[in-house]
Amino acid sequence: MSLRRLPPGFREENIDLDTEEFFVNMGPQHPSTHGALRLALRLDGETIIEVVPHFGYIHRGIEKQAESMSYLQYIALSDRQDYLTAIQNNWGVCLALEKGLGIGVPERGEYIRVMLAELGRIASHLVFYACFGGDLGGQTALLFGFKEREMIHDILDEVTGSRLTTNFFRPGGSVHDVPDTFIPRVTSFLKHLEKTMVDYERFLSTNIIVLERTKGIGILSKEDAIAYGCSGPVLRASGVSYDVRKNDPYGIYSQLDFNVPVTYNGDTYDRYVVRIAEIHESIKILRQCIKQFPEGPYRGQEKASIRLKPGSYYSATETAKGLYATYVVAVSGDKPYRIHTRGPSFANLAALNTMVQGHKISDLVSILATLDPVIPEIDR
Amino acid sequence: MGIMNAVPGLLDPIPGGKHLVNMLDYVANWARANSLWPLTYGTSCCAIEMMSSSMARYDIARFGSEVFRASPRQADLFIIAGTITSKMAPALQMLWEQIPGPKYAIAMGACTISGGPFMYDNYSVIRGANTLIPVDVFIPGCPPRPEALFHGLLTLRDKILRESFRNPWKEGEAIDQPYADRWSEASKAWAELEKIKDEEQAEARRQFKENNPDYKSPYKAVRVKKDAFPEVPRPEAPLIGLSATDLFSIALEQDSSITLYNSDSNEISPDRPNDMPLDIIVSKEKYVELISFLKNDERTNLNYLIDVTAVDWESHFDVITQLMSIEKGHKLFVRVSLPKDDSIEEEKRATSILAEIPSISHLYPAAEWKEREVFDMFGIHFENHPDERRLFVDHDFKGYPLRKDFTHPHIMKRPV
Amino acid sequence: MIDPVISHPLGDFIREIIPIPEISFLINALISIIAICAVAIGTAPILIYMERKICAHIQCRLGPMRLGFHGTLQTIADVMKLLFKEVYAPKGADKFLFYLAPMISLTAPFLALTMIPFDHNLQVANLSVGIPFIIAVNGFGILGILIGGWASNNKYSLLGSLRSGAQMISYEISFALVLLFVVMVSGSANLMDITQSQSGTILDWWIFKIPVLGFIAFIMFFISSTAELNRAPFDIAEAEQELTGGYHTEYNGTAFAMFYLAEYINLVTTSSLATTCFLGGFYPPLIGIESIDTLLLKVPGFIWFAGKVFFMISAYMVVRWTFVRPRVDQLMDFEWKFLLPANLLLLALGATYIAIIG
Repeated sequence: MSLRRLPPGFREENIDLDTEEFFVNMGPQHPSTHGALRLALRLDGETIIEVVPHFGYIHRGIEKQAESMSYLQYIALSDRQDYLTAIQNNWGVCLALEKGLGIGVPERGEYIRVMLAELGRIASHLVFYACFGGDLGGQTALLFGFKEREMIHDILDEVTGSRLTTNFFRPGGSVHDVPDTFIPRVTSFLKHLEKTMVDYERFLSTNIIVLERTKGIGILSKEDAIAYGCSGPVLRASGVSYDVRKNDPYGIYSQLDFNVPVTYNGDTYDRYVVRIAEIHESIKILRQCIKQFPEGPYRGQEKASIRLKPGSYYSATETAKGLYATYVVAVSGDKPYRIHTRGPSFANLAALNTMVQGHKISDLVSILATLDPVIPEIDR
Repeated sequence: MGIMNAVPGLLDPIPGGKHLVNMLDYVANWARANSLWPLTYGTSCCAIEMMSSSMARYDIARFGSEVFRASPRQADLFIIAGTITSKMAPALQMLWEQIPGPKYAIAMGACTISGGPFMYDNYSVIRGANTLIPVDVFIPGCPPRPEALFHGLLTLRDKILRESFRNPWKEGEAIDQPYADRWSEASKAWAELEKIKDEEQAEARRQFKENNPDYKSPYKAVRVKKDAFPEVPRPEAPLIGLSATDLFSIALEQDSSITLYNSDSNEISPDRPNDMPLDIIVSKEKYVELISFLKNDERTNLNYLIDVTAVDWESHFDVITQLMSIEKGHKLFVRVSLPKDDSIEEEKRATSILAEIPSISHLYPAAEWKEREVFDMFGIHFENHPDERRLFVDHDFKGYPLRKDFTHPHIMKRPV
Repeated sequence: MIDPVISHPLGDFIREIIPIPEISFLINALISIIAICAVAIGTAPILIYMERKICAHIQCRLGPMRLGFHGTLQTIADVMKLLFKEVYAPKGADKFLFYLAPMISLTAPFLALTMIPFDHNLQVANLSVGIPFIIAVNGFGILGILIGGWASNNKYSLLGSLRSGAQMISYEISFALVLLFVVMVSGSANLMDITQSQSGTILDWWIFKIPVLGFIAFIMFFISSTAELNRAPFDIAEAEQELTGGYHTEYNGTAFAMFYLAEYINLVTTSSLATTCFLGGFYPPLIGIESIDTLLLKVPGFIWFAGKVFFMISAYMVVRWTFVRPRVDQLMDFEWKFLLPANLLLLALGATYIAIIG
């Protein structure tokens, strides 16, 4: 044990070093830290010994602010937590509020929710594809992922009026009905997406350099994945079949037929494969919804003001990143006493240190890309 | 101030030199205006729209700005995309100083204009990028669409084309400007104009009424009919894993002192909805034992930590540990009620730790950061925590934001 | 050793009007230097424009469109803007080496360019040790990157320059061995001789002349030269996603422009080398049919040369935007465990081929 002082966060351990210890700071402004994340690296040459993430560079105090906002206003803030899966965050918040209000959603409303959420999931996974390819050094993949995503944004734009921060769901349904063009647009988009996904998978899935870069890298064991509280594709790539949509179904997911893709190696490549497989499952879900899309009211009777019965309400949804849980404590009035969000990125990132040890900086970048974190959701 | 800024001083006095300087200006401005290399900087939602604008659909490359530089030394344009927090502000200023001149800044999105959705009741968001660095163009929107970013880019282009070596660009000028409340000024001027207009038209109105005594406006206010929606009952949720009754009886085996939260009796009512997790209260001393029992017991097998969070009631804190069994799917919330430490003097209470609880990070590695978050936000000390530091706010931040009595000089109350 | 004869009508003309050989040599040399610089620096903006367009079209975009016809003036604006930018060295940097580094980087490709025969009588120096000279000069360029990374006083730069040092020293060997293969089969290290050994039809080019082996050698040259050029997929020295820019993280303004230019001039040099060694230099692709061949022969040699060079450059560019980047240790493994043994095997097979068939 030496007497020197390590930078904050590093653990004092006796490590045999080949070379001199070397500290590098990645971020908060760095092209591959996915936003304002700061990683402090302890290196032996280019091999990573330890990584310490520092948060808070985009800590916006959403939870504090929510205490002085009404429940409905908070839905707009939930967009800005994980902006890639904004529509699914809306749903998560609405689920908790619906529990507190004791109301349900008409069938058409549920279908609208599922369809938009699955579109959002595809969009988020396409961003993952893009960033993953980009972080591996394939700039073209970066562009390709975003290309198809724009079509989803066209649909979201038409339905919700906004490309990114949708703010569309309300307790009991949604703000307004989907237009008549919605179903044809989704149908034609799915047709297009299935064709292009073949190209995209050929671009990365079987590329020998990608395979070399990703197979056996950043292995997260099943036990570690559970212990660190990982969720979503990260958990499923480690061989745990847990999907809130299947294991704790909300909405109408229990009536839909879809599989939960699971792989068992827990390495970077598996996390990539799971997400690509999830895109195909989402396409399957959307196809079913298109077939069964019902007529009828899109929302239940709205109330003059949203006042929850005193108590605490918990809802869990599966966003593209994983388990998104909202915990609402209501006392009285139209403002929450406390709203807490359990974001998937925060827990997933906790496993980063165990995954990168012994790997190179290049691998850190690709591992971080497959964790697919969104920093504002961590910092909130 | 570069060498080029000395040129007008030398050339302008010479006959014909003015045209030479004009020519130089034109060439330099043309090059600068058309080759804006942005810095890869983005913190939140706007960053995604900035990325979208450089992608195939919108293609910022058409304007020659696709060369996103990761290093500030090679960039010309600082697109401030996303909320700026007080922790990020020094980094942002450093980035700005590292960009070699001439440099330009575009503030993208509502957050960089005024704080946007985070303007009120917020202790960490900087209200506007212009309080940190001089901004050339503001783009409103939350987030602005890529088209809006292009509009901002072209506005900046026009602005650069009007620059000259004669009036050298100076850093810091914008900061020295006296503060002007343009909005109130404009609204005052507007109100005065309205008054004058009213006076001018009063006579005409009177005339019109005299000439047409039975005139009625053809327009009628139309009341939009409110849609009738059905009352939808909440569907019955299926039971997943163990029922609340079973879970409670297993927990009672380990610790008979536990009680149900929000319930007078220790009986679970049969009409309790299935999707409402069981919420039990345990004493601080038996907390770790109970959690470790529940984690290792074959029947409960609560091996997955959803979250550790807290609620500040005026008199005490509730620390809530949310557990789940990943195989079986049932959930259990374990709640510890921690009375606030009364021995601390009144004026120091806001900035000192008021309660403590044993850490469970040796049982669940996931709890490490969650407990840090609770420590950071509530000032609850976790005993035996391996790395208890502030997580989100700066290490020298005073106070604990999620406490109900938290105040901060930066907070601006929302006008009611 | 340097042959003072510049074998061009212009050189002869100057020698005629200035009888003193030393002065005429100096004037000739000056003209050559200016010509090489003008060609190389003039090509760089075109190449940058080309790269941006190729990249854009691969990525389903348009690329620069607004400045000039289809954005043709875009790179000119970029270069001019970089010249007008503020220049400063970061705190703690070794100022002398910091500014020296880009100049070294820029010098190396120019030196290599002097050896290239652009046409029958368009070559600056006809050196009998052309290939060894080019190999030597190419190693010189890496010095700039190493110095630049070290002098910046930045950890990313240092990591980047160390990476590129390791990479270029490794791939230098393959690069040299492939060129050695060409020297072996053509029987000369003089680039003009190598070119002339490929006269005849298209099948006489070294890429096709030796069945299979020539093509393999060409592919190996392509791989090792991509690594030499520090271009994607072997751009681990810059690795924007990992090191934010590698060795040129701290460079700005003119110094950065010089690194940028050096990259593209290097591209020209390497492509010219590939053209000279494998694609028949300035010879037109004759196909053995009299009527077509006479037409092809009417086009001057340097146009054929430029055409082939641009073909090579586009190949490099398409590869750059198609592949992802390998990791630094995988890159080393690939060189030492695969490319180098394969190269040695290639040399042995080439020698066997010559011994048997001649």
